[in-house]
Amino acid sequence: MKVSFQALSRHLDLAGVTAERVAEVLPMLGLEVESVTTFGLAPLPLVVVGEIKSFEKHPKADRLSVCQVDAGEGSLRQIVCGAKNFKAGDRVPVALPGTMMPGGFEIKVSKLRDVDSAGMMCSSEELGLGKGEDGLLILTPRQPAVGTPLNSLFGAPDTVLEISVTPNRGDCLGIRGVARDLAAALGLTLKPLTVKTAAGLAAAPAAADAVKFVRSSSEFCPYYTLRTLKNVKVGPSPEWLRRDLEAAGLRPINNVVDITNWVLLELGQPLHAFDAKKVSEGIEARPAREGEEIVLLDGKKVKLETGVCVIADAQRPLVVAGVMGGVDSGVTESTTDVLLEAAWFRPGEIRRVARRIGVSTDSSHRFARDVDPAGVELASRLATDLLIELAGAQVVGPAVVVGQPPRADVTIELPAGYVAAKLGTPVADADVNAAFARLGFTVKPAAAGFSVRVPSFRSDVTRPIDLVEEFIRIHGTDKVPAGRPIAPLPGDEDALTSVFTREVSARLVGAGFTECCHYSLRDAAELERTLGADKAALVAMDNPLTAEQTHLRASLVPGLAGALALNLSVHADPRGLFEVGTVFRPQADGTVREFLSVAFAIVAEPVTRSWKSREGFDALRAKRLLQDAAALAGVASVRLSFAAATGGLWQANHAAALVDRGRAAEGACGVLDLRWTRSLGLKSSVIAGEVCFPRSAFAEARKIPRFEAFSSFPPVTKDVAVIVPVDVAAAEVESRVRQGASKAAGKEFALESVNCFDVFTGPGLPEGHRSLAFEIRWRHAARTLTDEETNQALGVVIATLEKGAGWTVRR
Amino acid sequence: MQQQLAQLVAAATQEASAVATRAELEAFKARVVGPNGSLTQVMKGMATLSKEERPVVGKLINEAKKSVEELLAALLVKVENAEIAAALGASVDPTLPSPDAPAGSLHPLSRTRERILASFRKLGFVVADGPEVETEWHCFDALNTPADHPARDMQDTLYMPKAFRSADAPRKADEAILLRTHTSSVQVRTMLSRKPPFRIVAPGRCFRRDAVDATHSANFHQVEGLWIDRDVTLADLRGVLDFFVKETFGADAEIRLRPSFFPFTEPSFEMDLRSPNLGRLSDRWLEIMGCGLVDPKVLELCGLDPQEWSGLAFGLGLERIAMLVHGIDDIRHFYNNDTRFLRQFA
Repeated sequence: MKVSFQALSRHLDLAGVTAERVAEVLPMLGLEVESVTTFGLAPLPLVVVGEIKSFEKHPKADRLSVCQVDAGEGSLRQIVCGAKNFKAGDRVPVALPGTMMPGGFEIKVSKLRDVDSAGMMCSSEELGLGKGEDGLLILTPRQPAVGTPLNSLFGAPDTVLEISVTPNRGDCLGIRGVARDLAAALGLTLKPLTVKTAAGLAAAPAAADAVKFVRSSSEFCPYYTLRTLKNVKVGPSPEWLRRDLEAAGLRPINNVVDITNWVLLELGQPLHAFDAKKVSEGIEARPAREGEEIVLLDGKKVKLETGVCVIADAQRPLVVAGVMGGVDSGVTESTTDVLLEAAWFRPGEIRRVARRIGVSTDSSHRFARDVDPAGVELASRLATDLLIELAGAQVVGPAVVVGQPPRADVTIELPAGYVAAKLGTPVADADVNAAFARLGFTVKPAAAGFSVRVPSFRSDVTRPIDLVEEFIRIHGTDKVPAGRPIAPLPGDEDALTSVFTREVSARLVGAGFTECCHYSLRDAAELERTLGADKAALVAMDNPLTAEQTHLRASLVPGLAGALALNLSVHADPRGLFEVGTVFRPQADGTVREFLSVAFAIVAEPVTRSWKSREGFDALRAKRLLQDAAALAGVASVRLSFAAATGGLWQANHAAALVDRGRAAEGACGVLDLRWTRSLGLKSSVIAGEVCFPRSAFAEARKIPRFEAFSSFPPVTKDVAVIVPVDVAAAEVESRVRQGASKAAGKEFALESVNCFDVFTGPGLPEGHRSLAFEIRWRHAARTLTDEETNQALGVVIATLEKGAGWTVRR
Repeated sequence: MQQQLAQLVAAATQEASAVATRAELEAFKARVVGPNGSLTQVMKGMATLSKEERPVVGKLINEAKKSVEELLAALLVKVENAEIAAALGASVDPTLPSPDAPAGSLHPLSRTRERILASFRKLGFVVADGPEVETEWHCFDALNTPADHPARDMQDTLYMPKAFRSADAPRKADEAILLRTHTSSVQVRTMLSRKPPFRIVAPGRCFRRDAVDATHSANFHQVEGLWIDRDVTLADLRGVLDFFVKETFGADAEIRLRPSFFPFTEPSFEMDLRSPNLGRLSDRWLEIMGCGLVDPKVLELCGLDPQEWSGLAFGLGLERIAMLVHGIDDIRHFYNNDTRFLRQFA
């Protein structure tokens, strides 16, 4: 909302108050000032009216003209000019050398392509008068005398403050509302509003009225007034009215429309003017009927939703109530009789309808923020004054009213000391009451404190807590001191997701990985690769903004692969990258679940050369990182198993899917699909890993580990090597070894570990077989194990592998 | 005798210079001090000497023995040194660069987040979290922003289709499911699930239907705080924010509370920051967070009695803070993941 200093001065005596001061005060009242601009011509003493006597083409530049200009100095000035819109004899603004232009540059005597130029002829934009027509500002129609200072042709400049009005402050969508707040803050008095047209409303149209009836049958229009004005002379508005509208950013149209807009700006009450001759019989605010349509002022044809409030005549809807008028019932040059509507519509409904139609007008914006019902009639009277004064209108009688103002002043019972209690600092009741008085509230003592009557223009103030805000706005927030020191509450802990995020990030940073952060919103192709087309559809958004951001991410890996490619393309060694964040995964029951995911990716071959080579990163190192990450989330390695990963992001036979027996974690690790990563521009293969956990996995508090005693006697280790077909998984063989070793130990002693230490294929082994060697370690709690015992135990293991599983143990 | 001993020691010393390995050392030792060693033989000859000669000769032998033992000790050091050198190989040039990759680094948003959380932890705020895909009720209605409230115009929201069902934020009725526009929804979930008093901070990702530019991003991060207790006041709010700002921006930083509007707080403020240490943004008021006292209506909607409980709430944009702290001029850097950017904040 644009408010000019001059407009505020209509309501307040601002003598001694600068525009800068106003711009400082308003934000501290909750009216944020977004910009301060000069409207009109800034003081430019060296810009005068000049006449272009003659001009010719610049000898060296086709686009420039060399002009001889009379600036009233007795001799002609030569000025080189780039504009095209003038003719000899035109009068234009001439900036003489020494002028500091509003754009911040100084005019000097200079040469343009070797031709002398002593000044500049100006366009509207160069003078800070806004974007006018292209080229010079032609003053000829105004017939100014040559040599006249330009400022004497234009009024004094005004300052326009662009204010951002929060949704609760509908009252400040009118200049008077802003002035009222400013008055309260500065301790000034609001000037009374003088309106000549008499108050008073009639229940039915007079005989001379242009309409036979005024009705409302819509629940969204509880209060409607309509006034007939005859013999209206439609024409251009006077200069001051045009100026006021332009300062507020509105385009003048004709005096009738301009007057309704001016009142809207002044009081925040939207008005609507009909051409009475285009209205059939009468006016009714009613629900739209099925199938009704309207062509709006902006030319848009709208199919009306059944039930929305329209202002209609006996035949058809004329206006979408409170939002926008129709194209064929408005005021035009040929209008003579005007019906002036001032009404109150239900705010929520206006907002809903405006959004549904897809328009936001100055009217709908204000109605949606709850205009003051007490201001409806006042606005109608003020507009009537102006229609009489500026358009020669004749009033037939009082406005016809339907319904009642839907709300009135509100009285709030404010307990004594309530404001101080909420502030946390002592304030005197008298100070509180004085602040309310400045805002136009009426305070009276009541049984338990005060009763504060809030006028209906402040629909946002209805409760004691709202009065606290009103007080602090006027009192100043800087007067509230910082409060008491506070102690932590015992036993309160961070959410485990947060603890995990911190710990796992530290772990990966320590392992050399750099943290990334990617958008959660991804494109369809990525999700189809990650989840397959059917499941990808389950994470598609309803109203995406762009085609690149249509789906919720199901994995962090694609983002990381992209980041590797990006870094390599700019010749930065990405080394390892990781990310921690939420992913969204469709579940078997049709829901989509949020998982906290940890993922990392690294190119297999080092990018930066080194004097000493290190082993590259491989899938099994990724597996270790994954297991460590899972352990931090409370998922022990024993719960996890790994199976071959299929499809999607992962390369067949070179990646593993993680399976959690506790059904909490999901994940995979290994080589990323090589065709895909190559298509991203990555030459080397990429190793990645991802493990993710549903929020519920973090719901239980972590258990505090209990100490377990351990043996002080030495262990015994035995090795066993098994020859198995290559398609038998190592985990299966290990599980058999473990089973036998555990059985051998029985209850007498304990199996401590089984560790695969050699994998061999080659000479000496049958075709299609490999040998896996395991170290088995047993220990007794209370003594040293004997050779006899352990040999016997090894025998049990061998028997399990040979007789039980049918494999061969190497001897 | 004396001459014999002197010759013996001289011979041993000469022979010792050829000893290089442990085996040679053992053999040499046997030749001199072994059961049949040269020195042992001489010592055995003591028995034949007279009572008068013994002390004199004994002394000479002891001297020779001492010389031999010193010789052997020196040889042992020599042999061990040779063995260690062989085991370790060539010497290391400590000025060569390590071939191993250095430690990685946290993302600047994570660092900023952890720093902020650490400040609030000192004041007894603990971290809470909640789903990123939320019900309309948790994101808006429970925060006193019903449908068709003009406050809904303050932000444009991304919605999931009607058929979408979230496992983490199930619908109560037929309300819409959306991508949360603020982490205030975590406040709602906390009030519904915990008994006051409590103090929480909720860091997390939020979404708005915004076109991406230097200051806007389709997703961004917030840190929101909520303190519910008896008699929480505006002075408490000022105290908490003052502490946070001084922790994050230094003791020179000042704040001001500028009245504003949020549907979920009353009174509501924008908190502005002014600091002399912010580069080209120094010494001017910068808007960095919204805050206020929890609106009684919100307490009510979340099942708390506003007569008994009161609260304060605040919310800030993580990107905004990180940009101010580090002098970053474009929000898109955070999401581009160019390591030349990421590693600057290690």
